[in-house]
Amino acid sequence: MATAIIMPRQGQSVESCIITEMYKQKGDRVSVGDLLFAYETDKASFEEESPVEGVVLELFFREGDEVPVLSNVLVIGAEGEAVDEFQTENSPEKSEAEAEVKVKAEVEVEVEAEVKAAMTVGKSVGISPRAKNLAVKKGLDVSLLNGSGPGGRIIEQDVRAAAERLPRVSPLARMMQHDDPKLVSATGSGLSQTVKGADLSQKQAEENDGFDVKPLTNIRKLIAKAMFQSLQNSAQLTHHLGADARNILEIRNKVKIAVEKGYPENITLNDMICFAAIRALKKFPQVNAHFLGDSMKIFHRIHLGMAVDTDRGLMVPVIRNADELTLPELSVRMKELAAACRKGSVNPELLASDAASFTVSNLGNYGVEMFTPVINLPQVAILGVNTIVPRPKDLGNGVYAFVPYLGLSLTYDHRALDGGEATRFVKQVAIEIENLEFDV
Amino acid sequence: MNDNNNNTRSQSPPLGGGGVDLAIIGAGPAGYVAAERAGAKGLKVVLFEKKEVGGVCLNEGCIPTKTLLYSAKLYDNARNAEKYGVFAHDVQFDFSKMMARKNKVVKKLVGGIKAKMKTEGVETVAGEAFIEGRTGEGIKIVSGNQAYQAKNLLICTGSEAIVPPIPGLDPAAENILTNREILSLSEKPESLVIIGGGVIGMEFASFFNSLGTKVTVVEMLPEILTGMDPEMSAMLRDLYTKKGVVFNLNSKVTEVKGTEVVFEKDGEKHTVSGEKILLSVGRRPVTKGIGLENIGVELFKGGIKVDEKMRTNIPNVFAAGDVTGFSLLAHTASREGEVVVNNLTGRPDRMRYQAIPGVVYTNPEFSGVGLTEESAREKKIEYRVASLPMAYAGRFVAENEGGSGLCKVLVGARYGEVLGVHMLGNPSSEMIYGAAMAIEAEWTLKELEEVVFPHPTVSEIIKETVFSFWESNRKQ
Repeated sequence: MATAIIMPRQGQSVESCIITEMYKQKGDRVSVGDLLFAYETDKASFEEESPVEGVVLELFFREGDEVPVLSNVLVIGAEGEAVDEFQTENSPEKSEAEAEVKVKAEVEVEVEAEVKAAMTVGKSVGISPRAKNLAVKKGLDVSLLNGSGPGGRIIEQDVRAAAERLPRVSPLARMMQHDDPKLVSATGSGLSQTVKGADLSQKQAEENDGFDVKPLTNIRKLIAKAMFQSLQNSAQLTHHLGADARNILEIRNKVKIAVEKGYPENITLNDMICFAAIRALKKFPQVNAHFLGDSMKIFHRIHLGMAVDTDRGLMVPVIRNADELTLPELSVRMKELAAACRKGSVNPELLASDAASFTVSNLGNYGVEMFTPVINLPQVAILGVNTIVPRPKDLGNGVYAFVPYLGLSLTYDHRALDGGEATRFVKQVAIEIENLEFDV
Repeated sequence: MNDNNNNTRSQSPPLGGGGVDLAIIGAGPAGYVAAERAGAKGLKVVLFEKKEVGGVCLNEGCIPTKTLLYSAKLYDNARNAEKYGVFAHDVQFDFSKMMARKNKVVKKLVGGIKAKMKTEGVETVAGEAFIEGRTGEGIKIVSGNQAYQAKNLLICTGSEAIVPPIPGLDPAAENILTNREILSLSEKPESLVIIGGGVIGMEFASFFNSLGTKVTVVEMLPEILTGMDPEMSAMLRDLYTKKGVVFNLNSKVTEVKGTEVVFEKDGEKHTVSGEKILLSVGRRPVTKGIGLENIGVELFKGGIKVDEKMRTNIPNVFAAGDVTGFSLLAHTASREGEVVVNNLTGRPDRMRYQAIPGVVYTNPEFSGVGLTEESAREKKIEYRVASLPMAYAGRFVAENEGGSGLCKVLVGARYGEVLGVHMLGNPSSEMIYGAAMAIEAEWTLKELEEVVFPHPTVSEIIKETVFSFWESNRKQ
């Protein structure tokens, strides 16, 4: 009996996932535990392992497809088994594949101008039927065209003009591009500038055009949307203030020495700063809040969001009830979460922007001296942590010395907080940093 | 500006005709073609030539040799006419009349070029040109007591026969000839030793063999006609061996003693003697005595270094033809000249060398274009090859009684693009351009298959060979 592999549901709010990589193709033999495909939600990526042994009988989706959760992605079974019963109505495979075959056949027969990418005719772009037919004939990707018709609709003339701009391509180059649509060339070195096989390369595409067009990953889309909305829909501004870092640097040195002697928790400056922020938040509950337009949601507990830089993009997991944790506990929890984010195995529930009540973003490691972090709405503030720089300080009696200062940049939503409150809060964070006590 | 410079300046002739758009030094196939094209496109052009327009090609190379070879072919055909049911008795030739006709042909064509230059408004200067240097407005070129200021300069000074440093070889001796002297012989030599079995050597071997001269070819490499398809080179060598030419391959000439040529083969010394000795071991670019150093033109392997647009390292200074040192063919030179003019007149163009036909005008002719199997292997290009005897073309059988020949087509292993076509047989020189077009356009077998070839012609052999790729696929 064949087994259908479904798109798992990753978290209650996840409706669909995107297949980022298909590791197996139709006809491949798989064993239990083999990776079948990678997929990502809005917030994290995952890999699906095979629960059974057998042959991949059918793939219903391809890389890049957005798959509703619980849909059949592929079927594994014994060679020759029927798979029709697993076909889902969500699967785009059949109809699109047919359309593509048809398009390719027409192109084979009638190509004059050349195709550089797979056909994507039929996207949700406004296009006249005549223009569409011509685009298919000419092998043009209409998503790259600008329409000159009413409302930006692509008309026949637009397709014709675009086709004329295409370089002439030699028969050899055309066959090579057919095999590998990524091959492009902006300049032709052949007869009357005809593009030759040797002119084609994937690298040249970058050199000649100077850019690549890459679709956004799901995570990128989410970040883009969230950041833009944040700046559009709130009244953000940032206060910068310094904290004397001598105290935490001293603690850090003690920790380092202790770790060398076997102390288990390598508590970092960031751990201490977050701990200090939590203590300050306890004293300023109005900062530990969400602004909901006509009301403020003041949290009893502190759910600390921490910005983590990963290969896939910025992720902000949350440490729930962070106010219950001791400094070493906080340190452990933060390291676990950051690692999970980088691995892509973090629980998506912890990534929701409304999961945290306050966020800390630390760019000190990168040497940033001052920045304006963007609030993760509906939170009312975010603390940016900068690098430590020496600054002159009056030590009393007219004695000045250079003291290491940690820069703090607090962005707050002026709809929720006033400047005085925000200033007092960030000052409180500085005070907590300067007076943090910790014995290893 | 110091006094010395002023002195130098005052010695140099004043600008005569004023400024020109393009000055061309050397009126060979690169220079005169470039001058003609540039003139036609409205550029003001001055063309310098110290000898005769037409260059080596027209005066001492392509044209005179082909004229003589045609006489030889007629003679051969007349003697062999019996095979075709035609009897020509007492067939004779007159060497001096052959030479006279050759001179007449050359003169006519030289006159033709001169007329063309006039038509296109090109100023032709008979005399040596010397590049004096750069001025604010361009490059100053002096010829005799005239000075010219050129916005652009095209150098096509050509090449000269290499006289190898062989002990005892006196280039001035009367019996030592290059392509130039051999074309001025007044009598047919009884015997001829040809040092170098390349294109020039083989064409003269063919000519004198037809006339009954005892010809011996001494070639250093394992096969004659390096660069051509080796299988066909060997076939051609066999044909000429049967006709009486003696070939010594892998033979290095170590000494020349009067009429004797001493060479080493397989570690042994051999001697061959000939009334005349022809040196045809290669040619080298002429870069001296024209003032290249005055503008700092960079050289590469003895020739002028150019890029794909025939630009030298100096702005507005170009070079084309043999002086660049790599193709040494008249048709390459002409095309290179055209590339220069096209770019100067606003048409982007670049020189490509992958489809330059090479022809040896022996009888039968041997033509090739593109990659040989050897060069494909060298470049690690995966290819498929098909070959057919020329006798697969009916017209060839009709016109070549007892004749043999071969057509070979190389295509890319994956896409079937035409990589090379090689033919041994008449009149391959007249049809090889078709293959050059296919290679230039990067046609694959598919495109070539759709072309209609006239029937009956020898050219059909190309189509037959192309279809034989299917045959060979089926057999596999």
